[in-house]
Formats: sequence, structure tokens, C-alpha cells
Amino acid sequence: MYDGFVPTDRDNTPRLLLAFYLGVVIVFLALGVTYWNFQVVQHARFSVRAENNYQQTLALRAPRGVVFDRDGRVLVENRHSLNISLVRERVADLDQALVLLAKVTDVDLQVVRDVVEQNIARPEYLPIVIIRDASLGQVAAVTARRLELPGVVVEQVPTRYYPSAALASHSFGYVGEITDDQLRVTGDDRLRSGSIVGRSGLEEEYNELLMGQDGARLVVVNNTGREVEMISEVPPGEGRQLQLTLDYDLQRAGEDAFQRAGYAGAAIALDPTTGDVLALVSLPAYDPNDFAVGIDQETWSSLSTDTLRPLQNRALQGRYPPGSTFKIVMAAAALEEGVIGLDFTVTCRGGGTFFGRFYRCHGTHGTVNLDVALEKSCNTFFYTIGNMLDIDVISTWANTFGLGVLSGIDLPHEARGIFPSRAWKRERFGEPWYPGETISVAIGQGAVSVTPMSLAVMMATASNGGTRVVPRLLKAVRDEGGWEQIEAPTPTSVSMLSSDTVEALRRGLWMVVNREGTGGRARIEGRDVIGKSGTAQVVSLTGRARSDGADVDFRDHGWFVFAAPRDNPKIAGVVFAEHSDHGHLASQIARHIMETFFAKQDGMPLPVLDSPQVPVPVVTQVQTTQAEG
Amino acid sequence: MLDRRLLPHIDWVLIAAILVLVVVGLVTIYSATYDPTTQQAGPQLTRQLVSLAIGFVALVICLTVDYRVLADHTMLIYGAFSAALVYTLFFGVEMGGAQRWIDVGPVNLQPSELGRLVIALTLAAFYAESRRGARRLSDWLIGAGVVALPFMLIAREPDLGTAVTLLPVALTVLVFAGLRLKFLAALAVVGILFTPVAWTYALEDYQKTRIASFLDPEQDPHGAGYQQIQARITVGSGGLTGKGFLQGTQSQYNFLPVAHNDFIFSVLAEEQGFLGVLFALGLYLFVIGRSLDAARLAKDRTGMFLVAGITAGFTFQVIYNVTMAAGLAPVKGLTLPLMSYGGSSIIATLMGFGLILNVRMRRFTN
Repeated sequence: MYDGFVPTDRDNTPRLLLAFYLGVVIVFLALGVTYWNFQVVQHARFSVRAENNYQQTLALRAPRGVVFDRDGRVLVENRHSLNISLVRERVADLDQALVLLAKVTDVDLQVVRDVVEQNIARPEYLPIVIIRDASLGQVAAVTARRLELPGVVVEQVPTRYYPSAALASHSFGYVGEITDDQLRVTGDDRLRSGSIVGRSGLEEEYNELLMGQDGARLVVVNNTGREVEMISEVPPGEGRQLQLTLDYDLQRAGEDAFQRAGYAGAAIALDPTTGDVLALVSLPAYDPNDFAVGIDQETWSSLSTDTLRPLQNRALQGRYPPGSTFKIVMAAAALEEGVIGLDFTVTCRGGGTFFGRFYRCHGTHGTVNLDVALEKSCNTFFYTIGNMLDIDVISTWANTFGLGVLSGIDLPHEARGIFPSRAWKRERFGEPWYPGETISVAIGQGAVSVTPMSLAVMMATASNGGTRVVPRLLKAVRDEGGWEQIEAPTPTSVSMLSSDTVEALRRGLWMVVNREGTGGRARIEGRDVIGKSGTAQVVSLTGRARSDGADVDFRDHGWFVFAAPRDNPKIAGVVFAEHSDHGHLASQIARHIMETFFAKQDGMPLPVLDSPQVPVPVVTQVQTTQAEG
Repeated sequence: MLDRRLLPHIDWVLIAAILVLVVVGLVTIYSATYDPTTQQAGPQLTRQLVSLAIGFVALVICLTVDYRVLADHTMLIYGAFSAALVYTLFFGVEMGGAQRWIDVGPVNLQPSELGRLVIALTLAAFYAESRRGARRLSDWLIGAGVVALPFMLIAREPDLGTAVTLLPVALTVLVFAGLRLKFLAALAVVGILFTPVAWTYALEDYQKTRIASFLDPEQDPHGAGYQQIQARITVGSGGLTGKGFLQGTQSQYNFLPVAHNDFIFSVLAEEQGFLGVLFALGLYLFVIGRSLDAARLAKDRTGMFLVAGITAGFTFQVIYNVTMAAGLAPVKGLTLPLMSYGGSSIIATLMGFGLILNVRMRRFTN
């Protein structure tokens, strides 16, 4: 085999081998330099990218503060809901992932695509919530196909929960994602895109307190986005807990009584000495839980286009003529201004003529003094004293009692009522005040419109001797140390009525309920309820005739203002019953609220409405009341 | 059988270097297949150990039979090898869209891995026997034909990566057999001139995409460029001293695909850092140098050609894989010899070293 292989001078094998070796050495040096460049020179840059790969910061949404009623009953809390989200960074084929995700969760593909499209500008590593408040079935389906759905994550988030559903919903308001506009103007560093903020009611008013501090969790994830281990966690800080002045039982009583009577409307019960709002009813209501995970378009449009306007807080935003309830202010004004004495009488023959025009009364009351005028709600008496007072004086007194001004309650979007004066008319219509207009104002008609809340304040002021309290809902805030009581707001005026005036009002309003007045259905044996009914005309008689047959409810609204017990009132308030025709039907709602209040005060079983689900015909109810009386 | 007198001439130093690389490979495979959630390594480690055992037996066999006896039977070996490739094309086991394996009971064998050895042996025997000095064009054409047949058979599997590894083996033997470098340079110029033509007509769209994404991986970070980007991150984040054994986040959390196989060197770079890279590169350079030494010492041209060809194939694979591990070469299914997981690869590599040791050991025998 040996073929005489000996290196000769012509043989260049050694040189080739050396060239080969040197070539390899050079390439290896180049490789070494390359690795040096990556591993040492550019190490920091690649380290960050490696960290971004396997470390993920997950925001931990802070639960909002729990809200309690004045007895410590939970009114608003949080529950855990599951969101199915998508991290685009981990998805190779986005559309394919969306198709599969829509399929396994049984959601319309177009909806999923739209959600992603809306958030396309957000950074790729941030999860986009595809399905809010996913069902357990959807979560199970996604989890089972985790390997086919890299980048799809299930997040547990605290979600606002209102255990009593629509109860007191207008006071609580609702929450929603912060809008871009809000985000731009906020100075709160806790707020980020996607943050949940109060959008109405107490949730909005006390958003700063209720909102917690979001936490963060640094986790290790693998290439499919699965959490492998946790590196560190900053737990979320729950929002401050609030205690309200609301009494759950009174709130429930008010809403139940409304439901039974079958009216829409509003009711407010105040502690007339402090302004504590014990109940605040506005019906129809909405379920704030619908908003908690982001309201769907269908529910939203049905709420916002409903002719009964469930989103409106009638107690604060509804404005109606006060009708005869205003006679309380007229009586106080006339007495305090000294234009009449307690012995002043008027003879009612079914009305009276002022400035050449006849103004009707609803009855023929004969000779009446103030007590009887209040008891019978005699228009002629109040036309007469209205004629004796200047409109600006009446207006000032109305304002003093809280009408035509804001109550100052700690809720957003309170509407201001209207109480006319010379200046108001000049500004509004550019016309002087005609004295004849004062006659209508004297019985709460004309250009007067008030909110139920302002009328509740009026009644509290009249019953407590002239101290106009500021209604408030927030009673205490939870601190690290415990409950910090919030001081009641300073009353706008204090004991401004003389004792004679106070006594006269109490006597007249007591007779409304306990003698032959229109408030008989609010009578509670031994509780000395005082009150006054009123009617807010929906349209004039001629207008009603004109629109006959149209599908509009023209029945008048009924008012009832109340307080009890007469000499040392513990509760005062208003009931506004839409289309109830007259205030005496509103008074039975007030009665149920007051009965509940006194039963609680005495530790007795709470009164039960006899047949809460089926509205009882009005006639039967009248008979029952008379039998009791 | 092995002549006892040959034992002192075995290159134990080369064997020691090979063993160290194999151990480094095993440790890295353990880490790359380790699952941090179950705290266990994958089954690949055990299977790699079995492959190594078979590989060392094969090494001993290649060492025992005199390479000159093998060179005398190149027709038979080349024929059998070609038949195995044809058989693979028709009856092979298909995995991942390619038909590269033959089912032999408990395991699948990849005949193409032996290609480099068969080509080196066949060409070495052919050019050693033919007269030297005045080569004719027909000599080079026969050499080209010898490599072209298995090249095409392997490329059709398809396994272009493995087919390409035949070229450095063949070219090296041809150059050592007297092929003028000028001629090679002319070939290279023609190749470059034809590149645009090849780009337009010869490449499939997916191949163009792959090359484009290699040139700029960030263009398509989720698709073809993903592996390259992740490979660079893996290497770069390792730093000077590395993240430590089992501490590589890129490999432990599976951001780096086929970490235990094609990207084993990236894992080493991540966990052992630049120092680990230098150590491994140094060992590879030593093994190559020591192999070239065996070529220099070879008693005859057959041995010299054989060793040079095998070493060239080994060197090409190491350089390509290490470049690819840093995300600087298109991702091809090319293993890192001695370290990567893979039975056929490790057995063929060890057989190659068996032949290199064979030539060196018999440098004094007749």
C-alpha cells in the first residue's frame, strides 16, 4: 500500500495544513471577538431584553373602599371577577389567536377584533382585556387550551359589588373606566389608563377616598406567558372604608312603600337636628352592578333612553312646583314679618279676588285662622297673606328655608330649584314683576320649582325651629386607627324662628295629619306626626283637555312633607310621588318610613307592608286607614 | 484485532479533550432540558449517554480496523452508503416534514450524518491511488461526481444543512490532492456573479423570507427572526461570567427554541458566560489543531487526505454552529459536534475521531 509518500520540495502539504490551521485560528478569534462584543460590550442591553422576556409586572388592582350604612351594614363591597386578556407580545399570529379565542369562549369574533382594534395603540406587552367578567366555563375553556393560546391570560380583578342591587343606587352612583379627558386633567398619580373611577353619586363624590392604591407583582413567566414563579409583590392598598348616614332599613322601607304603591318618585328622610340623610329614594332606579364590569351598549341605551329616566336622581335633579307644601314657608314668613298675628282670620268663600282676577280655592272653608288654613290647606287664606307680603320678602324667606338654593349635600350634580323674585324676573324675562303673580306663588304655583331635597331641608328647618341643616351622607371614614367621625356641616341658619311661630306651625301641621287634614294616612298613634301635602300640576286644565287621548300621563304629582314627633322631631323629610294625583297618597309612603324609624328606635320588629308585591287598589287602602283612625 | 503494540501510539490527549467537550455538552444538555417547575431534567440526558456509549464503541471499531483496509473497500462503503440514502428517500421515517431517518428497531438512524466520513474516505482513497503531480480535469470531475450524488440525495430529504457539510470535506481533500486555489477562486467569482440569478429563479419564497429575516431579524420578530433574536439575547445576557448553572432565564423558560440541540452553545454562553465560551472555543481549537497534527504525521496520502477531510467537516460544523448560536447565521439544523444532543450526530462524530486516531496511531506501521 505504501506509495512512497515523502514530503518533497514540490509537495506543499505542510503549508496547506498550516494555512488551514491559521485560517481556523483567525475565524475562532473572530468568533471570540463577536462573543466578547455581545457578552461584554453589549451585555447591559441584552440583559434588559432578557429581563423583559421572562419578567412581567402585573398590576394588581386595588379594591375600592367598602361602604357601610349607619349601623355598620355593608352597602357596597367588592367581588372578584375574572378577565380574559391577551398579551400581543406573546402571540405569533394575532388574527389566528383571535379566531381561536373567539371560538373557545363562544364570543362573536367581530367583537373580539373590535376590542383589540380599539387598544391597538397600547404597548404590546400590556394585556388587553378581551372578555370582562368571564364565566367559569370560558375561563376553563381558555385554561384547557393554554398551549394553543400563548399570550392569553386570565386575570382576577376586584370588581365593585352592590349586594342590594338597585337599592339606593342613585346615592352610590356607579363606577367605570376613567375617560381619556379625565386622565389628562387629573393630578392623581394613582390613575392610569384603565383605572376604575366613580362616575356618579358617592362613588364620584368620594372617589379620592374610595380609590385604593394599585399594587404590582413581578413574576417570572415562560415563553407561553405562564407564570412560573413570583419575584416580588407590592400588595394593593384597599380604598378607605366609608360609613354613611343612610339607614338600610329606612331606605328599604321607602323603596318598598313606593314599589307597593306603584309610583315613580323620590323620598328623603333626614335627621332634622344634624342633616344626616337617613334615606334617599329615587325611583325607578338602575342596578349599579351593571356598570361595575363595564356596561354593555344594550343596557346603557335602554337606561339612557327610558322615558322614565332611571339614571336621573329625582331627589336631587328633579324640579317640580312645591304646591301647598310651600304654605309652611308662607305661614312662617307672614308671622315672622309681623304682617299677621295668630288671631288673624280670613273668610273663604271658595276663593278670592285679587288685582281684578278671581283665584279659586279647592273648597269653601268659611272663616279660617292659620291653624285651620294649614289643616284644610285653604288657598284663600294664603292668597290673602301672599298679597300682604312683597315677592322679594317671600323669596328671601324661601331661600332661608332652603328653596331655590342648593342644599349642599355631598353628592355631585345637585340641581338648583327656582324661586322667583323681581331681580330673577328682570334677568330672565326682562320684565317687571306683576303683583298678581305673587298670589300664585303664595300657594307654591307659578314660576316656583323645587327639588325634593330642598323641600326636605325646608321641612327639617320648619320642624326643628328654624335651623337649616346641610344634608350629608358621609358619617365616618376609616383610618388606620379606626373610624374617624366626620363632623356634621355647620347649619346655614340657626333657630331663626320665634317660639310662637314654631308652635303655630307645629299646631297647624299636626292638625293636617291628626285632625281633618289631607295627611291622615301619615298618622301614627302616639307619634304626633306633623306634615303637609301638596300637588304639583303636570299641565293646566286647558292643556290637559287639549292633549286628551295622547299617551302621556297627565295626572298631577303628589307631595308630602313630614316630621315627627312634633315637639322634638327626630325625623323629617319629603315624599314625592309622580302622577299620584294628590299628596295624601304620598303620605302613606311617609308613614311607612316613619313607622320603620320608630320601630327601630324602640327596638321593635320592623313594620311589614301587608302585600308588598301586588299594588292594592287605592279605595281599599282608604277604608283601612279610616278603620284604624 | 488491535495490535497491542499500537496502544502507546493512541493520541490520549485528543481523547481527553474530546471527553472534556462531551462532559461540558452533557452538563449543558442537563441544564437546557431542566424544567424549573418539576425540578427535573428531560429524558434527553439519558438518551445522550446511551448514544455516547454506542459512539465510543463505534470509535473503537473505527480505530481497530486499519484505515488502509477501509480505503481498499471504498467502492463497497460508498455503494452501501448511497443505497442507504436512496432507501431513506423511499422508506425513511418522516418527522417534521423531512424524511431523514431509517427505523432500526429501538432507534432511528440518520445515514446522512455518515456522509462526511464516507466522502472523506472515498476521495482520499481515490486521489491517493491516482498519480499525483499532473492531475487531469477528469480527476476533478470524478471527485465532484462522488460528492454530488450523496449531496443531491441528502438535499432531497430535504436536509440542505447536512448536504452542505459535505462540501468543505470534499473541497479540502481536493485542495490537498492538488486542486489549484486559483481554480477555486475562479469558481467563487462565478458563484457570486450568479447569485442574483439564483435568488430569482432557484430559491423558493420561504427560503427568500428566511434569508431576508436573517439579514434583518427585527423585521419579523415573531416569525423567522424569532430564533435569531432570542439567540442573541441569550448569548448577550450571559455576560462575562454567566448566569450560572440552571440559572439561564432564556433557556430555563424556553425563550430559546431547541436549546439542547442546535442552540446548546447559546445555553453555554448564557450560563457560563464569555469565560465558558472561551474555554469551549479553546478546546475545539485544540481538537482541530491536534487533528491537523494527525494529518501532518500521516504515513501516507490516504491517511492525510482522510484526516484533513474529516477535520474540515468537523471544523465547518463547529464554526457554523457557534456563529448561528450567536444569531449571526441562518438557522439550519446543524448540530454542534460533541456537545449537541442527537444520537446519529454524536456517533458519526466519534467515528470520525476514531479514523483520525487510526491514522495517527498507524503512522509507524507498514
